Amino acid sequence: MSHEQYKILSKRFGRRDAHKLAVYEAEGGYAALRKALQQGREKVIEEVKEAGLRGRGGAGFPTGVKWGFVPKDAETVYFMVNADESEPGTFKDRFLMDYDPHLVLEGSIISSYAVRASLCVIYIRGEFGWLIDRMQAAVDEAYAKGYLGKDILGSGYDLQVIVHKGAGAYICGEETGLINSVTGRKGQPSIKPPFPAVQGFLDKPTVVNNVESVAAVPHIVTNGAAEYRKFGTEKSAGTKLFSVSGPVRNPGVHEIPLGLPFKEFFHDWLGGMADGEKLKAVIVGGSSVPVLTADEAMGIDLDYESCGAAGTMLGSGGMIIIPERCDMVELIQVLMHFYWDESCGQCTPCREGTGWLHKLVRKLRRGEGTAEDLALIEKVCEGMAGLTICPLSDAAVMPMRSFLQKFRSEFEALVAGEDQDGPQTRWAREYRS
Amino acid sequence: MSTPLNDGKTFALEGEDRTRFDALLAQYPTKRSAVMPALWIIQDRHGHVSDAAVTWLAGELELSEAKIREVLSFYFMYRETPQAEHVLQVCHNISCHIMGARTVLTHLEKKLGVRLGETTADGKFALEGVECLGACGMGPCMQVGKHLYEHLTPEKCDAVLESMRKGEPLRPDTDRELEA
Amino acid sequence: MAQEQTMVTVKIDGQELQFPAGTLLFDACREARGEALPHFCYHPDLPVAGVCRLCQVEVEGMPKLTIACNTTVRDGMVVHTRSERVRKASQQILEMHLINHPVDCPICDQAGECGLQDQYMNYGLYESEVEKRDKVHKAKAQVIGPHVILDKERCVLCSRCVRFCDTVTGTSELGIFQRGDRAEIGIAPGKELSNAYSLNTVDICPVGALTSRDFRFKKRVWLLKSTRTVCHGCATGCSVRVDHEGDRIYRLKPELNREVNGPWMCDQGRLTYRSVHSEKRLAAPLLRRDGGQVEVPWAEALAAVKEAGAPGAWIASPQQTLEELALFAALAGDAPRSGGVSTAGRGEGDAILIDADKTPNRAALDWTGLPQHDAGALIGLIKGTKGAVLVYGGDPAAEAEGFLAAVGGRPLIYLGTHRNATSEAAAVVLPVSAWAERDGLLVNRQGRVQASRRAVARPEQAREDWRLLADWLRESGAEDAPAGLPALRRWVAERVPAVSGLDLNALPAAGAVPAGAASGAGGER
Repeated sequence: MSHEQYKILSKRFGRRDAHKLAVYEAEGGYAALRKALQQGREKVIEEVKEAGLRGRGGAGFPTGVKWGFVPKDAETVYFMVNADESEPGTFKDRFLMDYDPHLVLEGSIISSYAVRASLCVIYIRGEFGWLIDRMQAAVDEAYAKGYLGKDILGSGYDLQVIVHKGAGAYICGEETGLINSVTGRKGQPSIKPPFPAVQGFLDKPTVVNNVESVAAVPHIVTNGAAEYRKFGTEKSAGTKLFSVSGPVRNPGVHEIPLGLPFKEFFHDWLGGMADGEKLKAVIVGGSSVPVLTADEAMGIDLDYESCGAAGTMLGSGGMIIIPERCDMVELIQVLMHFYWDESCGQCTPCREGTGWLHKLVRKLRRGEGTAEDLALIEKVCEGMAGLTICPLSDAAVMPMRSFLQKFRSEFEALVAGEDQDGPQTRWAREYRS
Repeated sequence: MSTPLNDGKTFALEGEDRTRFDALLAQYPTKRSAVMPALWIIQDRHGHVSDAAVTWLAGELELSEAKIREVLSFYFMYRETPQAEHVLQVCHNISCHIMGARTVLTHLEKKLGVRLGETTADGKFALEGVECLGACGMGPCMQVGKHLYEHLTPEKCDAVLESMRKGEPLRPDTDRELEA
Repeated sequence: MAQEQTMVTVKIDGQELQFPAGTLLFDACREARGEALPHFCYHPDLPVAGVCRLCQVEVEGMPKLTIACNTTVRDGMVVHTRSERVRKASQQILEMHLINHPVDCPICDQAGECGLQDQYMNYGLYESEVEKRDKVHKAKAQVIGPHVILDKERCVLCSRCVRFCDTVTGTSELGIFQRGDRAEIGIAPGKELSNAYSLNTVDICPVGALTSRDFRFKKRVWLLKSTRTVCHGCATGCSVRVDHEGDRIYRLKPELNREVNGPWMCDQGRLTYRSVHSEKRLAAPLLRRDGGQVEVPWAEALAAVKEAGAPGAWIASPQQTLEELALFAALAGDAPRSGGVSTAGRGEGDAILIDADKTPNRAALDWTGLPQHDAGALIGLIKGTKGAVLVYGGDPAAEAEGFLAAVGGRPLIYLGTHRNATSEAAAVVLPVSAWAERDGLLVNRQGRVQASRRAVARPEQAREDWRLLADWLRESGAEDAPAGLPALRRWVAERVPAVSGLDLNALPAAGAVPAGAASGAGGER
């Protein structure tokens, strides 16, 4: 099948034995680490820069460039792997850690080596309890085999790895929030400057990369930048894991070449909608990006630039397929509840605004909303966007604004008093406290 | 799983827990940075983090109780009060919602005789709504302990509840040991 | 440091100005505008938080608004603080601060000095669109320590109080628990906000979330007048202000003095105002008569003093001002004299502000030739003299065992402000001014001369210390006895070598350390 050729990160998905070190080694595992240690860190950074790997957590920042921000004379450097995957719709990092923990680990070790980190913290969200066990087992195996610890493979490079368990906070997926969490504080993001690459964990240079980003590093080291660039576009190089949810025939994690047209992805990979379902809208990259109508989605390619041009973002690659039967106001209420739950509470616009938006949408759904409330929603969004320490505020505003803008008639219907779905009344009134 | 607390007035980690705690302090670069895994050791043993545990941990890590409580109250998974035997955490975020989480929740409410957020009278089951669990393509889903149950239907819920009631071995979808 | 300071040129609201490199944009904007940018969380003596988002300004070339409190000026920076974009953002962010804020103004002590009220009047003035039933409610009127009461609902979560306890006192009693709009300031159960500087959190709280228990519901702040002076609680001599209405003092607050106390003061110091209105105040002259003490007119009391004859022993105290001590020493002439009991007025100090010496002017005793004595030496001094014993301030009868026995039947004359063991044993008691009722100079532990100011009027029958002493000096034949306060200070400068180089009538607000003066532990941290 032509899709097989793209399985670089996901080639071991679904297997029951691939998490074992012996299996991983037998299939070429840790050869990349050996090569990296031989090549030297400058070459590794250069290769990753050349490859054009971009951060796969959602921000899309060039990974090699981020590595380059670490001051060359830094005595202590930290590397952290962001496995806090909590963006609604996103479940790809989980698959990587589940089926290929050693790939993630090897990539982490090489990345740590590249930035001269002495400690690598793999921060896994607390809800992934079984994955934490899995990663810890892989780490233990790696230590025993000499891929971790002192003088790795005789290179003189020392690296300690800690598998750190989160405890239920989406905001720890923000890199400074993650760092503060590891420090033993609440996972609240820090103001910048200072920037983590210069002054992060314990005031030392710290680089934070997403699980999928580090998982791509062994392939780049082994096969080179040009090989990596075989797939993808000029500015969006390589493959990306898309975790797809919603009533399509083939939901789940798909590894695609960036630049793949959504239309093709939808029909050939996802098999189109399941029986009896019709496409209404698409959230392309996790709930925090603007929603696209079905028509808009059909017109985009799945890469950073094309999504940006279409007024949305590639984000985390957490794709949510919304069928015709869904009430968009009900869905936005679900999302506004999420951001209200997850706001860390530091910045006033986000802390108060997420609560306000949630209450306004709930008010609409209870049939108590007015036309002024629709204008008020936009006003609240304006008081939140671009005014805070971290982008959670914007992450709430982007879906809110885009849902309101593109499906306005559904909001207006509620104002006019046509309760579109009777049984929802109790739900809206009592469930969404 | 819960074991009876120390007398409630004083608290200390013992045996294997103490060993793991000491290992943490050796592993993490500062005492403060060990606070999250330390809270997990306490909660894994006792089911929640009591006031006495907070006082104990503050002393061990040389932090004020207020700083420990900031962490304890900020992260949703830490619990300050004893929990039900089985805490069913059902995702009510967008993808699970689209795939029928509401039906599952309503069914569970009826089956357990409680509303969302409540615990059964016998203390056996608690029903909670939680945010995205990272199983969006396999939803609706719920978390119980360290594992997930996915592709939930009312029938599957019934089967899981039955096993829990009978004390039978559970078969969550993320238990990889079961696949061996 | 002799290095030359690099200057950068910055344009703020059209004005081109120069600042030293490294200047905070917040400070640069304050200078350019003549007033600070709106803000809650920023405080120059606390680590930057950047959470209230109010001080955001437009910096050309940056796509988003920037918080000025976390930005350093760069050469060529162009900044707009009053553009439409900034004004709108300020108003929107202010509105966010207010949506869950209870409209407690009628019962809130902060009214009149409240950041929210001020900001709202400056650039709010909008119609609220929040549904009252939707407001988030939190616990109110919670006592969290001996001096502070917390209203969680009023809190705007600026985190100043938390940062204060974390970095200034290092006691970390306060935290912000939970997240989102459920976040609230609090203390751990069973704990108290009990550090020795807890009331500073009330100062820095921009709203009425943290308020003083002592001041609660006592006085509306706009009725208070403020007088800058020096705290008399210990040898640190923090700059403070006395807030009073008429002749009643309601509270003390610190005044910024970078040389002594920065922006802080201790809780004990704050409460020293209470002594001024104590029921133990000596309200009128007293004479011993018929086995007790009776109130008499001043003329009669002064006549009794004259009749007692020139005192053989003169004992002062470190509670008196430099001028008072200089006059007292001049009056004593060659007669045996003392600055009081050396072991009295000693306690515990700390490394922050509190000094172990609980008197405000002990250093001046040496400067004016009034050395202190321990109990035994003082009694020895008394026994070696004849005639009346004149005690000015302090309480040697309680501080030195055997003092009264040593005085025996000799006339004991007491000049003081409060009833105590010495006053109750005295033959003549002359009431004088409390610390907030008179002007005077104090010398702190740094050897710094600071001007303490009169804030309220003394009781009707109490006298101004220095005038009384100067009158006696004149009566004793000294022609140059000063007749006014400026003259008094010139007179002091001529007679006290330690301050001869200072213009005591024109001291800087932060006081002055004479060249070569001894400097003990001190300086603000």
